[in-house]
Amino acid sequence: MAGYKPVAIQTYPILGEKITQDTLYWNNYKTPVQIKEFGAVSKVDFSPQPPYNYAVTASSRIHIYGRYSQEPIKTFSRFKDTAYCATFRQDGRLLVAGSEDGGVQLFDISGRAPLRQFEGHTKAVHTVDFTADKYHVVSGADDYTVKLWDIPNSKEILTFKEHSDYVRCGCASKLNPDLFITGSYDHTVKMFDARTNTSVLSVEHGQPVESVLLFPSGGLLVSAGGRYVKVWDMLKGGQLLVSLKNHHKTVTCLCLSSSGQRLLSGSLDRKVKVYSTTSYKVVHSFDYAASILSLALAHEDETIVVGMTNGILSVKHRKSEAKKESLPRRRRPAYRTFIKGKNYMKQRDDILINRPAKKHLELYDRDLKHFRISKALDRVLDPTCTTKTPEITVSIIKELNRRGVLANALAGRDEKEISHVLNFLIRHLSQPRFAPVLINAAEIIIDIYLPVIGQSPVVDKKFLLLQGLVEKEIDYQRELLETLGMMDMLFATMRRKEGTSVLEHTSDGFPENKKIES
Amino acid sequence: MAAGGGGSGDPLAPAGVPCAFSPHSQAYFALASTDGHLRVWETASNRLHQEYVPSAHLSGTCTCLAWAPARLQAKESPQRKKRKSEAVGTSNQTDLLALGTAVGSILLYSTVKGELHSKLISGGHDNRVNCIQWHQDSGCLYSCSDDKHIVEWNVQACKVKCKWKGDNSSVSSLCISPDGKMLLSAGRTIKLWVLETKEVYRHFTGHATPVSSLMFTTIRPPNESQPFDGITGLYFLSGAVHDRLLNVWQVRSENKEKSAVMSFTVTDEPVYIDLTLSENKEEPVKLAVVCRDGQVHLFEHILNGYCKKPLTSNCTIQIATPGKGKKSTPKPIPILAAGFCSDKMSLLLVYGSWFQPTIERVALNSREPHMCLVRDISNCWAPKVETAITKVRTPVMNSEAKVLVPGIPGHHAAIKPAPPQTEQVESKRKSGGNEVSIEERLGAMDIDTPKKGKDDLQTNSFPVLLTQGLESNDFEMLNKVLQTRNVNLIKKTVLRMPLHTVIPLLQELTKRLQGHPNSAVLMVQWLKCVLTVHASYLSTLPDLVPQLGTLYQLMESRVKTFQKLSHLHGKLILLITQVTASEKTKGAPSPGQKAKLVYEEESSEEESDDEIADKDSEVSDLFAVCTSACISS
Repeated sequence: MAGYKPVAIQTYPILGEKITQDTLYWNNYKTPVQIKEFGAVSKVDFSPQPPYNYAVTASSRIHIYGRYSQEPIKTFSRFKDTAYCATFRQDGRLLVAGSEDGGVQLFDISGRAPLRQFEGHTKAVHTVDFTADKYHVVSGADDYTVKLWDIPNSKEILTFKEHSDYVRCGCASKLNPDLFITGSYDHTVKMFDARTNTSVLSVEHGQPVESVLLFPSGGLLVSAGGRYVKVWDMLKGGQLLVSLKNHHKTVTCLCLSSSGQRLLSGSLDRKVKVYSTTSYKVVHSFDYAASILSLALAHEDETIVVGMTNGILSVKHRKSEAKKESLPRRRRPAYRTFIKGKNYMKQRDDILINRPAKKHLELYDRDLKHFRISKALDRVLDPTCTTKTPEITVSIIKELNRRGVLANALAGRDEKEISHVLNFLIRHLSQPRFAPVLINAAEIIIDIYLPVIGQSPVVDKKFLLLQGLVEKEIDYQRELLETLGMMDMLFATMRRKEGTSVLEHTSDGFPENKKIES
Repeated sequence: MAAGGGGSGDPLAPAGVPCAFSPHSQAYFALASTDGHLRVWETASNRLHQEYVPSAHLSGTCTCLAWAPARLQAKESPQRKKRKSEAVGTSNQTDLLALGTAVGSILLYSTVKGELHSKLISGGHDNRVNCIQWHQDSGCLYSCSDDKHIVEWNVQACKVKCKWKGDNSSVSSLCISPDGKMLLSAGRTIKLWVLETKEVYRHFTGHATPVSSLMFTTIRPPNESQPFDGITGLYFLSGAVHDRLLNVWQVRSENKEKSAVMSFTVTDEPVYIDLTLSENKEEPVKLAVVCRDGQVHLFEHILNGYCKKPLTSNCTIQIATPGKGKKSTPKPIPILAAGFCSDKMSLLLVYGSWFQPTIERVALNSREPHMCLVRDISNCWAPKVETAITKVRTPVMNSEAKVLVPGIPGHHAAIKPAPPQTEQVESKRKSGGNEVSIEERLGAMDIDTPKKGKDDLQTNSFPVLLTQGLESNDFEMLNKVLQTRNVNLIKKTVLRMPLHTVIPLLQELTKRLQGHPNSAVLMVQWLKCVLTVHASYLSTLPDLVPQLGTLYQLMESRVKTFQKLSHLHGKLILLITQVTASEKTKGAPSPGQKAKLVYEEESSEEESDDEIADKDSEVSDLFAVCTSACISS
């Protein structure tokens, strides 16, 4: 009795979508909270300091939301026209925003009226940012200029007129207070140095640039425009590293995960894609209801906030881990229970007898062990088992077949039980991994129940269904066979080409080549 | 487009066409339709009284009109009127209509003479005139325009008395205070001017869109204890383009309050507003608002200060055609304008089309919140005044006649003959404009092969969709494309898709081929198509075998069970046929349950005939049972 071997459950690999660490990570968010804004949400920015509030720019207002609040905790509405690009300073205490009328306004988070107003742009200012030293503001506007402002005396320090179209995006370096980058509709991304009065680097994106992003190290630059996201190596003088084309509409916003390992891009095609920054492959993708204009990730990726063209702000919070731990844990035996006697040193005359480890058997294994084959089969035909783990059911059927008792196990069932079995067959017969076992089972069932066919309309209907399925599968396989023929032809032409190339080589006068290859 | 809705070109222009009831007795209804004609209708008899076409009606269409205030009741003979108006005529201007035009000129038209009285041009506006208001007693005329200015005219001298800048944007509406000393003007914000000094007295917030109508609703302040200075405490009403709220404002003595005290909500943009002035505190203001959707909303409210919630209407009036015959669904008839009669208890409704409106007096006695009047206006279409007949004749068409319409060449346009004029309101309105509207043309261009058109569209968009879906890995988009059953469509799509998407498509198909045979069969169609169409491309790929290796293995592993499955299928077919056969026999008991063959054993023993017969029958019964069991199983 001791030698019972549990049934080996065969696991089958599923081709196609794999569950990776990334899918687990990015799926681990709660259902989104949706907040209706007044207009298209053009910018979302998280405060870098706790409590990590975020500023949402929509229409002529800037709302500041707390982490879990669905009502704005503060509103800046002193704009005559549309506001753009509300951005927090590194210390989270100041907020700067551009506006459609060409003004740049600086707010204190606790105040209401602007602290500073920088007048100088003649057209809408779509991008503003603080430089790394916190005392300057960079702004880019539709009048093709980029300006650097001094906060203390609210003066304009520098103007760069190098772009030849609207400047719509920009960011300042986090490390160097003099460096900042702007992207423009003239298809270029330029890096400016406040010390030189000119751009120090310019890269050609190829499409109107909608968003730029500098890696925290400052070495890599990401630009988005058109359907492309491009990554540039700044240290190599603006060499194009990767060009990603995974959206089918214009990419509007970029964002880095807090670890810096993942790059997120949002697009008008209503998707957010997550790229790995090592392989630059899409590792995950989110779907949204409307075209995405802005995107931001909170500290430690706790929250994903996405702003859309229809004015809806979608906020996703990460599922908290604390809940699982709060469950009362069952008290286990203390550690010493397990180590009791383990440190006992064997004396000379002692004979050590190991108690065999108790083997845990599954219920169906127990049944099989005691030769209750019908019961074992019943157990694995239970709906919970058939839907969740059909491979267990199939493995048991296979095992019964191997023992030669499958006919016995299947026999002697009433209408309800047999329809259970048939249901399972109908569901899984077409799966190639289960097909050989299940076809066999189906044949046995037919053999057993042939005499009583026609007595129960329910079972008859199931058989009819099964027949339909098998017919379809046969048709399908016939098609597949034809296709296989086609592919064989294709592969054959490949091989022949290799052969002919070898022949050509020989005709060119390399007989030794042929010898080696043949 | 001949249909109503004058400013359909400019999205912010007020809806409807300029129209007005004559003051006091509402005897006439003046209407300047979009074709440039000014028509004056008699409200009592619903007859066309006069029609006038300004000489410049094509270049400068009429944008607004206003009746001159009738200080004398309209009892005088036309002669006297004429003479008086031609004379210095300070008091009698009852027949004058002021028309503002899109080019900035203002025409004064005399309804009695039926001709142009004078023109106000010099020194006036150089852009579209938006609103004209007559001063009650001084014989002045105020007008405002898109050129941001307000002009005060001396009508007798036809000269500008004063011109000042009224707003930073165009001024869209004007209203003169009941005492005649103040003027309200509105662009987006509303300003109250002192007429004597032309200074701004008060500011009000106004609307987000241009204000289309301004009206004073009270002539006495609600609080009568305070001394009345002519303006403080008065309420006025404003409606704006694309705004479903009508705001009520109060002129306060303190200058702080700039927002509306209350508002009325209606179902659509207001087109025409009329109200009865409330003269004392107790009397409610009655308000009739005609919306763009053709409904009239009636409000009755005593104005007493601030009210936060917008008020909804007390009564809504709609007009519809009676449902008759096979066209049993009643159609709504749009109401164009509504004015209170002087007794304040009945309402004049103008409905139908702009070219042939019907004017009806409706008593307001019902307390119901919703009134739907059923009116058959098809029979009153026949023009009653000879001059109103348009000289257009609908061509008589028989069914063979083909009509060529502008549109895509090659489409066979099956045109129905234009419906006779006395059939429907809708068609009337269009045919009245003596040209076929775009809508009608589109309706007439009955593309007789819609299915084919759709098909073409799909083949055009499918490759694009497929490429986009593959690029962004959009599951729904791919589903839409790949789950088509139309083999032709598949072929066309595969033909037109760009080459670089072939390998991604094959990978996607690999993923989808493992599913249920129902859906996988469709994928095989795609796969076959790709392989046949792009065979040459695929064969040039150097890494074809590794690319398609998984696919090949997958397919091979699947077809391994082909033999066994066919075997099973055979068994099942047999089984099913047996089941169906038994069901048939169950339904109708077959006649021949008798054994075909009866084996009779010759017995050597002598037995009686009866016994033999008994035995035979027993045996045959037994056989019958056996065979029936066989058949049924």
